[in-house]
Formats: sequence, structure tokens, C-alpha cells
Amino acid sequence: MTKDLEHKFISEFQKNQNIVHKVCRIYTNNQEAHNDLFQEITIQLWKAYPKFRGDSKLSTWMYRIGLNTAITLFRKSKRSIKTQDFESVLYKIESSDYDDTEEEQLKLMYKAIHQLSDIDKGIIFLYLEEKNYKEISATLGISEVNARVKMNRIKTRLKKILNP
Amino acid sequence: MDELELLKKDWKKKDGKFKELSYSEIYKIIHKKSSSIVKWIFIISIAEFVFWGIVNFFIPDSIYEVYDKFHLRNWLYISYVVHYIIVIWFIYKFYTNFKAIHIADSTKLLMKKIIKTRKTVNYYVYYVIIYNFILSIIFTIVMFSKSDVMLQILNPKNLDIDENKLFMYTLIIQIVVIFVMCGILWLYYRIIYGILLKKLNRNYNELERIE
Repeated sequence: MTKDLEHKFISEFQKNQNIVHKVCRIYTNNQEAHNDLFQEITIQLWKAYPKFRGDSKLSTWMYRIGLNTAITLFRKSKRSIKTQDFESVLYKIESSDYDDTEEEQLKLMYKAIHQLSDIDKGIIFLYLEEKNYKEISATLGISEVNARVKMNRIKTRLKKILNP
Repeated sequence: MDELELLKKDWKKKDGKFKELSYSEIYKIIHKKSSSIVKWIFIISIAEFVFWGIVNFFIPDSIYEVYDKFHLRNWLYISYVVHYIIVIWFIYKFYTNFKAIHIADSTKLLMKKIIKTRKTVNYYVYYVIIYNFILSIIFTIVMFSKSDVMLQILNPKNLDIDENKLFMYTLIIQIVVIFVMCGILWLYYRIIYGILLKKLNRNYNELERIE
């Protein structure tokens, strides 16, 4: 039954929706784009759900589809981008969580990440999610050695962006 | 790298601080329409198959009357049979390629399959252009080699005009038309590629370079 499947999907998705938010966090830098991408990933997940057999973990499957949508399928809408302070829209950040220099560094880091290519963003995302190189290579379809090399290059590149 | 460790810590801390969507909000989203490039590639490709089918279908009958005078009609029919067998093969190829696209594949494989699907349609369009090009070249050669029949068609009322000039102009017009058509098609494909596949191609090339 479609209705049953729909219900099952929504319930499971609801529990794991953080994954999708995080993909959007890496690939977009404003609320509107975040919502657009979130929507497209969710639709793709739902469309692919009948073929999900559970031979991999649901979360792994979601990482894949999320990244594939962001890297391959998604076309940014041409809508004018409002310059909102993304951090403050998306999170309720307590100022006590940060000391000023750390916050400044983090802002720079996120800014630097947004300058990376789509593929590099995917790699850094999986790295932040503490995926090992085996998983990173399987998700993107490159060899493990090359994933490692690429990650090192991204680190160097980020360093360069941060300390020009 | 200190900054990266700091980022990782921050990333973890923010996990779970996203705005959570309710059941009904998610329900609404999954009933919306996707705007993925795969969908657009599918729509545009189907439109191309239909477009070229219609173009061939709506060639006016009067053209055949002209061909009759050169005894070319049978050859034209034979070429059509061959042509449609090839078209069906292209459509079959396109369909199987399209069906093979799975979003849960690895990124590289997914992109490869999308590009392959799109390429099939491109080859189809190239094929149609080349087919029509060769056909018109052959027919032009045949027609211009039978200059008496040709003149009768170009100048049915037997007016007193320079026949050489008439020949020349007809040829020039034909060449210009071919070039203009090719130009329009070239522009069309630049636009399609520019808009739809730029990002995909760029990312695919980057993955290729890594390997």
C-alpha cells in the first residue's frame, strides 16, 4: 500500500532529517537555498524509497542520496539571495557557547568551505560526519587512496584560504 | 589542523539544533514536484524525439512530386525505413539508459549514467542532422546532374532568364539554409548544455581528475 509506505517513510525520515539539514548546511549559505535543497533531497529520498532494501543502513542511504542530489541533480534557483545571517536563522546559538576568537575562526571556516567545489564539499562533509575513507570513497565512487589524497589537498586549501 | 578540529567539534555540537519538520510538513514536501536535472533531461529528450519525428512527418507531399520527376521516391522510402529502425533503436537505448539511473548509486556512477543518457539523445540529434544532410546532398547531386529536369522545375513557365544564374542562386540558397539550420541547432545545444549540464560536467570532470 502506498499509504503505508508513505507513513513508514515519513516516520523514518522525521527521525533522520538532521542528515538532510546537514547536507544543506554545507551546500547552501542562505535560508531560502537551504529550504529549496532540503525539499529536493526529500523528494528524491521519497522517490527512491520503494527501492530501498535495507541492505545498507537508512542513514548511509540518506547520505548518498543527499549528496547526489546536492552535487548532481540540484539546480540552484535563480531567486535573489537575501543576505541573512545564516547562523542566527538556523540555530539558536547561546553566546556563552563560544569565546570570541573561536567564533571568528568558525565563521571563517564555514566561509572557506562554501568556496570549495561541490565534490570537495562532499568530502569535507563526510569527514565532519566522521565517515571513514572507505565510506567516503564508496559514496563518491572514487578509490580510497584518492579520497585520502583529496582530503589532504582540501585541508591544505582550507589552510590557504584561512591564512592567505 | 586546529581549525578543522574546532570545526568538527562545532559541527557535532550543532547536530540536533536544526529546525525539525513535522509529519505534515514532510507530507507536503513529498507531494511536491521535483525539479532535478534528470527530470529536465528526460523532458527535453522526449521533446527532441517528438520534435524531429514531427519535422519528418510534416514534410509536405509536394516535395515527393518533385522527387518523382527524378525517380527518387523509392529511394526516399527505403531511406525512411532504415531511418525509423535507427530511430527506434535510439529510443530504446535512451529508455534503458534512463531506467539505469539510480540516485542511490555512487556519485560518480550516477553522473556517468546521466551523461550517457544525455549523450544518446545528442547522438540521435547528430544522426538526424547528418542523415538529412547526406540525403539532401545526394538528392541535390542527382537533381543538379539532370539539369534539363531541374530547369523545368525551377523555371516552369520557361521564362527568358539566365539559367546559369538560376542554378547558382538555387545552390547558394540551399547552402545558406543548411548553414543557418546548423547554426540554430548549435546555439540550441550550447544553451541546453550551458544551463543543464554545466554543473554536472564540471563535477564529473573533477571526479575523473581525482582518479
